Amino acid sequence: MANFQLLNNIDHKDLKIKTDRSAELGDNLWYAVTFPEEFRNLQRYYPIFFIKNPNDGEFEAVAMFGVEDGENLFLDEKGWNASYIPLNIMRQPFLIGFQEKEQGGQTVREPVVTVDMDSPRVSQEQGEPVFLEHGGSSGYMEQVNSILNMLYQGLSGSKSFYKALTELDLIESFVLDVQLDDGSEHRLAGFYTINEDVLKELDGEQLEMLHRKGYLEPIYMVIASMSRVSDLLEIKNEQRKAAMGHAEG
Amino acid sequence: MTERIRNIVILGGGSAGWLTAGVLASEHCITSNSQISVTLVESPDVKTIGVGEGTWPSMRETLRRMGVSESDFIRECDASFKQASKFVGWVTGEPGDHYYHPFSPPQGYGDVNLVPAWAEIDGAPRFADAVSFQPHLCEKGRAPKQIVTPEYGAVANYAYHLDAGKFGRFMQKFCVEKLGVRHLLTHVEGVDTNDNGDISALRTGDDRVKGDLFIDCTGFSSILMSRHFEIPRVSTTDVLFCDTALAVQVPYPTADAPITSHTVATAQKAGWIWDIGLPTRRGVGYVYSSAHTSDEQAERALLDYVGKRAANLPASPRKIPIKPGHLQTFWHRNCVAVGISAGFIEPLEASALALIEMSAQMIADELPATRPLMDVVADRFNKRFLYRWDRIVDFLKLHYLLSRREGSDFWIDNRRPETVPDRLKELMELWRYRPPGRRDFPQIEEIFPAASYQYVLYGMGFKPDPSAHQRRLDDRKSAHDCFRVNQQLTGKYLNGLPSNRELIRHVVTHGMKRV
Repeated sequence: MANFQLLNNIDHKDLKIKTDRSAELGDNLWYAVTFPEEFRNLQRYYPIFFIKNPNDGEFEAVAMFGVEDGENLFLDEKGWNASYIPLNIMRQPFLIGFQEKEQGGQTVREPVVTVDMDSPRVSQEQGEPVFLEHGGSSGYMEQVNSILNMLYQGLSGSKSFYKALTELDLIESFVLDVQLDDGSEHRLAGFYTINEDVLKELDGEQLEMLHRKGYLEPIYMVIASMSRVSDLLEIKNEQRKAAMGHAEG
Repeated sequence: MTERIRNIVILGGGSAGWLTAGVLASEHCITSNSQISVTLVESPDVKTIGVGEGTWPSMRETLRRMGVSESDFIRECDASFKQASKFVGWVTGEPGDHYYHPFSPPQGYGDVNLVPAWAEIDGAPRFADAVSFQPHLCEKGRAPKQIVTPEYGAVANYAYHLDAGKFGRFMQKFCVEKLGVRHLLTHVEGVDTNDNGDISALRTGDDRVKGDLFIDCTGFSSILMSRHFEIPRVSTTDVLFCDTALAVQVPYPTADAPITSHTVATAQKAGWIWDIGLPTRRGVGYVYSSAHTSDEQAERALLDYVGKRAANLPASPRKIPIKPGHLQTFWHRNCVAVGISAGFIEPLEASALALIEMSAQMIADELPATRPLMDVVADRFNKRFLYRWDRIVDFLKLHYLLSRREGSDFWIDNRRPETVPDRLKELMELWRYRPPGRRDFPQIEEIFPAASYQYVLYGMGFKPDPSAHQRRLDDRKSAHDCFRVNQQLTGKYLNGLPSNRELIRHVVTHGMKRV
């Protein structure tokens, strides 16, 4: 269970964060939520799909690390095997929370930084210090703050992106049937991607609107990222083969 | 002179008229085809009936094909999700007497016959409860789909409860704005005919609305078919006695009260009471036989049912005559009746809107190219719909036939052999030794599938005797596998589905996605 506390330099003055990448530290995730501005960096390694948030039914984008729950094909004994790690992973164990504040007689919701004290990354002995000796933020924490800020801006700003895509019928559902070299099969359902046929049929006015709003680039990044599916499967096949070889040897 | 059928004129603007207009206009793409036109003429001073608040799952396909957004439909028609009918008190009238007729077929339907295995279970559970997860969802007030399920998609098969008045206005707007239907608000004073007796135009003051095909959607007045052509009616009161309804609207105690996702039909002394949950109110009505009770007694029974909320009803009960029966011929010359003008019967299985959809779809599919061909199509239409009406009468009668209720002439008279159609009697004999199957209902688009008959038959406590033959489909192991799968699905769906109220609230505020 997560135990989020408002981060402050008194309660958390000795807080350190383990920044290694491993399943034990909670990186065994098969996807992470992302936002359009991050698509360009992600598509070099990860397929980008859309899913529906089960709480409100709204679309959100995810970067995929595996093809089944709990599987992160980028993790090995050396850590996370890709030069770009999604911001939603890098922020761990911090999260933006909200605090209600009185301001000019009105209640406003203000974003604040919280930390999950039950995270296996939290330590007093090992890892990167969060605060400097006299209470200032460490270089590490400065970096986390900017990640949290990008995430917050990116996620809250992406609603209009999905609205535009939905209105143009640019999102379609798809089912990915995965067959591995050893014959085993998996089915990925509940994922959505760009409908390229609809995209090709858009008229100049619609394309201009997408371009002006900065949506055209992320749309093509999602399409480009589709070829990362076969990369994922290749890693999975190799891991399986290695595991089999190990068992036989 | 051209013989082509190009101009379709619909008279009457209730749900029947607008639904038919929508199906014809969308199936024939009239916005992009100038060869064909659909005009709906309605009188500004005729009130629509506004009953028929339950649909069949077919309505999802009908709306989807027309291009209606399901979210808009839910919002603007005050619609909710319907998954079943629950019959309370129909077997004995004792406490705990109820059974479900859900929209999802029995588990393994078509591959396994669950009836013998179910009948052998000691202290067998209710048939529908054993073979379908849906009654369990209904009992727990669950929605038939998740928040992430796209428009018209389902986890459990579903239909709608809707406000018929709002539905008519919603369809009107959609037909006129999106589908290119011409709308004339004017009073029709008479009918012009050709030498051959065909209708050539509707007279509206000094004007004429000309057409090649006329569709009578004028409800009880049946202006073209009954009044103009004097087509005789076939009464079904000798089989189904209910001929009057008293309807009220009942407010919810609070705005977030649960919305029941099935129609509740509760047996009464001389008929039964429907109870339909819309998002903003309930629609409740007593359908009764005027030969077996008085209007005063019926009103008292209705208010008793409504209970303590009866004190602050927004309006007193409204009386609706039913005149159960249908036209002898639905399509005569160049005129066809759709909706109540074609026939009306107690709404026990919500057949009214389903029949409108089927009629409109058949007219659209088989729209004759020329006038001579129209006689061929009319003959096919008449045979098809006479068959359908007979099946509706059989199926509704089945609900009464197996009742063991005593102490009221209505129920006792309903069991008299002379009131039972011959075909139903034959089927009852066949079903003693085998369950209802597809060969009993051989037409395509049967109005009620064999699965529906199974739910009612065994729900009413009919005891099968499967000893005569043992068939491959009767395999007990497969049947028990199905019971187990049904239990697993029940648990899974109960966990994963929101309440009906929650889902409706979500649809109203956020809408559903098309994908």
